[in-house]
Amino acid sequence: MDIGLLGQYVINGLMLGMMYALVAVGFTLFFGVLNVIQFSHGDVLMVGSFVGYTAILALAAIGIDNPIIELLGALLASVGVVALLGALIARYLVLPLRSSPPLNTLLITLMLGTVLRESVRLFFPDGSNPKRFPALLPDEAFTFGSFTLRVDSLMLLIAGLLLIVALHLVINRTRLGLAIRAVAQDEETAMTMGINFRLVVLVTFAIGSGVAAFAGVMNGLYYNEINFGNGLLLGVIGFAAAIIGGLGSIYGAILGGFLFAALQTIGSVALPFASAYKDVFAFAVVIVLMAWRPTGLIAERTSERV
Amino acid sequence: MQNNLIYRIPVLGRLSESNLSLFAGLLAALLTTGFAIWFLKAENEYVIGFLLALAVAVTLGVSRLGGLGYVGRAFSDHEKLMNGAAVCGVLALAAVFREDHFTLLMIAIVLLYMLAGLGLTIQFGYLGLVNLSGASFLGVGAYTSAVLLAHTAVPPLLVLVIGGVMSALVGCLLVLPVLRTKGHYSAVVTIAFAILFMSFLQVNDTLGGPQGLATGEMALFGWGFNTGIELENGFYGSFYLNYLLLALALLVIAFALVKRLERSWIGLSMDAVRLDETAAACYGLSIARWKVVGFTLGNFLIGMAGALYAMMLGFIAPANFSFGDSLILVSIVLLGGIGNPWGLAVAAAIVVILPEKLQMIQEYRFLLFAGLVVLVLLFRPDGLLPRGMRNYIPGGGARS
Amino acid sequence: MSASDVLLSCEGVTRRFGGLVALDHLDLEVKRGDILGFLGPNGSGKTTFFNVLTGIYDFSDGQAHFAGENISKHSAQAVYRAGIARTFQRSRMCLSLSLFDNIMVGNHKHLNLGLGFNLFRRGAFARDLEQRYEQARDLVRAFSPNLADRMSEAVGGFPMLDRRRIEICRALISQPKLLLLDEPSAGMTHEETHQLMGDILSVREHTPELSIIIIEHEMSVMERITDHCAVLNFGKKICEGTYQDVVNNPQVREAYLGIE
Repeated sequence: MDIGLLGQYVINGLMLGMMYALVAVGFTLFFGVLNVIQFSHGDVLMVGSFVGYTAILALAAIGIDNPIIELLGALLASVGVVALLGALIARYLVLPLRSSPPLNTLLITLMLGTVLRESVRLFFPDGSNPKRFPALLPDEAFTFGSFTLRVDSLMLLIAGLLLIVALHLVINRTRLGLAIRAVAQDEETAMTMGINFRLVVLVTFAIGSGVAAFAGVMNGLYYNEINFGNGLLLGVIGFAAAIIGGLGSIYGAILGGFLFAALQTIGSVALPFASAYKDVFAFAVVIVLMAWRPTGLIAERTSERV
Repeated sequence: MQNNLIYRIPVLGRLSESNLSLFAGLLAALLTTGFAIWFLKAENEYVIGFLLALAVAVTLGVSRLGGLGYVGRAFSDHEKLMNGAAVCGVLALAAVFREDHFTLLMIAIVLLYMLAGLGLTIQFGYLGLVNLSGASFLGVGAYTSAVLLAHTAVPPLLVLVIGGVMSALVGCLLVLPVLRTKGHYSAVVTIAFAILFMSFLQVNDTLGGPQGLATGEMALFGWGFNTGIELENGFYGSFYLNYLLLALALLVIAFALVKRLERSWIGLSMDAVRLDETAAACYGLSIARWKVVGFTLGNFLIGMAGALYAMMLGFIAPANFSFGDSLILVSIVLLGGIGNPWGLAVAAAIVVILPEKLQMIQEYRFLLFAGLVVLVLLFRPDGLLPRGMRNYIPGGGARS
Repeated sequence: MSASDVLLSCEGVTRRFGGLVALDHLDLEVKRGDILGFLGPNGSGKTTFFNVLTGIYDFSDGQAHFAGENISKHSAQAVYRAGIARTFQRSRMCLSLSLFDNIMVGNHKHLNLGLGFNLFRRGAFARDLEQRYEQARDLVRAFSPNLADRMSEAVGGFPMLDRRRIEICRALISQPKLLLLDEPSAGMTHEETHQLMGDILSVREHTPELSIIIIEHEMSVMERITDHCAVLNFGKKICEGTYQDVVNNPQVREAYLGIE
């Protein structure tokens, strides 16, 4: 295979991995503080990309066509709205079900995902068709021999990396992060230490969902297209990545995201029977991985008291 | 308060409470059948809306007066009679609508969804295994029957069984990951499978890709099901009547078996596995064994429903077996009341018939039912008809 | 004492969680018909010992022989079949199931679980049910006549004292040789604890062959019902003997009260 094509696969794989990682981080954060699976997370991401899209259209409608302002507007609106959405989900759907079996939380968020997905399909103007996401990033490219590196891909990768670093700093260097980690360790002790448990949960859901919104906008910019159904697939993959990384570990989730993207990319390159089966392959891998390492590659601490 | 009701009605006052409940139960069955006929005949959307409001108001009213308790008792004390009444109700509907293709099809779909719902009830209701790929197993059965009828001479009745077996076998592929993943994580395995199966059908050309496949007809003793029924005395019945009656027969058998399963040491073991795996293991219950048994039995029922579904529709495509449809199946179980087969009847009827009768909500049905399930989980997690205590011997009274 | 009098003998039973040694080379013997009290501060390894013995956790080291059988590699299911039944510190009942159902969960090894029997031979099933129902009710009646009339009620509706009684019945219905009681008095008042201990003593009168290991913090309970006691601290057995020996042991006083 020639180097240019190989490079293209690598960039593509990294890009996918970045998106999966950003989704997986959300799953892991929610699981950390509440031990729940927030399954509408992928659809929350999709809502994020539609909010960003709407913001760009709105800015264009009032005559602003500076790509930088449009981009910032899209990101701010998307992250802000979706962070609020995440907190609302935690407040009205997840926290009230704390005393029910964890399965109910999975089911309720699964159904919420359907509600979000269908709402966009039905109520967003012409929502059932894919939307062309405006290209706001420069369209130049560097060429090294047969390998072309698009500037927008590079920028998106760097932005994703910066977000991960920022998240790392928030979790490890701030009082808020300390509170989140304390709640994740031991909720009861954290509460006796004066940590406002509900607030920490809401903020965690806001952060996790905000990160997903960012990934949603990234997704739109990279593929130049958004679709109401995007979220479900990204959600399942992101969740699988979080599990592979061992639910509850942020770095595991990031690793899991890239690992999954690598497997998917290798699968689509190496498998002889066409790329038509690439989703079949990817989900077969999810199932096999979960059978192989049910608690993830970085094992989750089991703490069931008998 | 329930006793007051008896004394206030002089005629009923002389009846024993058990007979009173039987009377209430039969009356409810009669009214429900009558209502169903009226509802299915109605075409004007305002009339339909009115009927819906009426149904809700009457149910709430009767429930306020404690009347539902009597109906519930009728089902537990006089189970055989009430089961018979329910079957008669369906037969009455079939007789009334014998010439109406569309209505018969709808009723038959309700019956088949109930059959699949019974499979999910074993898995989800008894064992706590959420199968979010119900529609995929329905699809395995459906595609099996399409392929077998097109390429082999296997008798169609056997095809139904093979459809179930295939679905159970495909389920066996998933059993390992489902067993190894703890608790609700296994639900995610089934989600992954649902999406895998869907994309497989979309891209597999031998199975017709996105366009799907035409399927052959059901036949019993040389009687082709795709022919209408015409008798010498002028009786005419749509060919869907054949399918409806067969679906009803399958459902009755499966219903009886699932009920017996629940009322046995096996049902008890499955409940114990669902409620506390650790404690169950300490009392000798093999978690894996029960999960394998229950998952396989459930998939068998779902696959069989799928095989008949395919024959009845005459044409199947991946869109019939999407993840959304799996969610609809789970919604039926959740809405009806997890683990209560009678709940399936109510929920399947609502979920299947409502969007067909109210065309304006057809487009919104996924949204509507997902939203409804969110509300049910928040405010009535046991569903519309919560499962009662186990009653090993029907009508056995105090004997547990 | 002859070897056949020993029901359970443990040698060097060890359980490690990562670097933490929760149970450190524990040696223990329980004779038939003995009631052994297990004492020790929280986190000293008592419940871990139960979990290792009943196959919930693997042995990290050492072995245990029960009625002549090496059970150190047994799964939880096999340990139960060999004749060890237990209760849990946080009473683990199926709250939505009836009292009768909960007790029958404990009788798993005696139930006919064949598909044919359960689905098709309903007449035989009904006779089996009748017999097991009477057996369960007799057992419950021995604890509380009042409970025996409420066999078909959901366990979730009973107070803690009754739940503990039901849990002990669940453990006893299979006629185990050894009963492990993990803090049966947790979550109960002093009065309730007293009643429950009365029940346990009467159980012992009816089944003199039954051995019991009981974990308990209520010292009065231990004094009243145990034949001898063992004290754990940091996973090690620091003392064993009669109740009086044990409470007067300086090491025990140190472990409990921190006095030199």
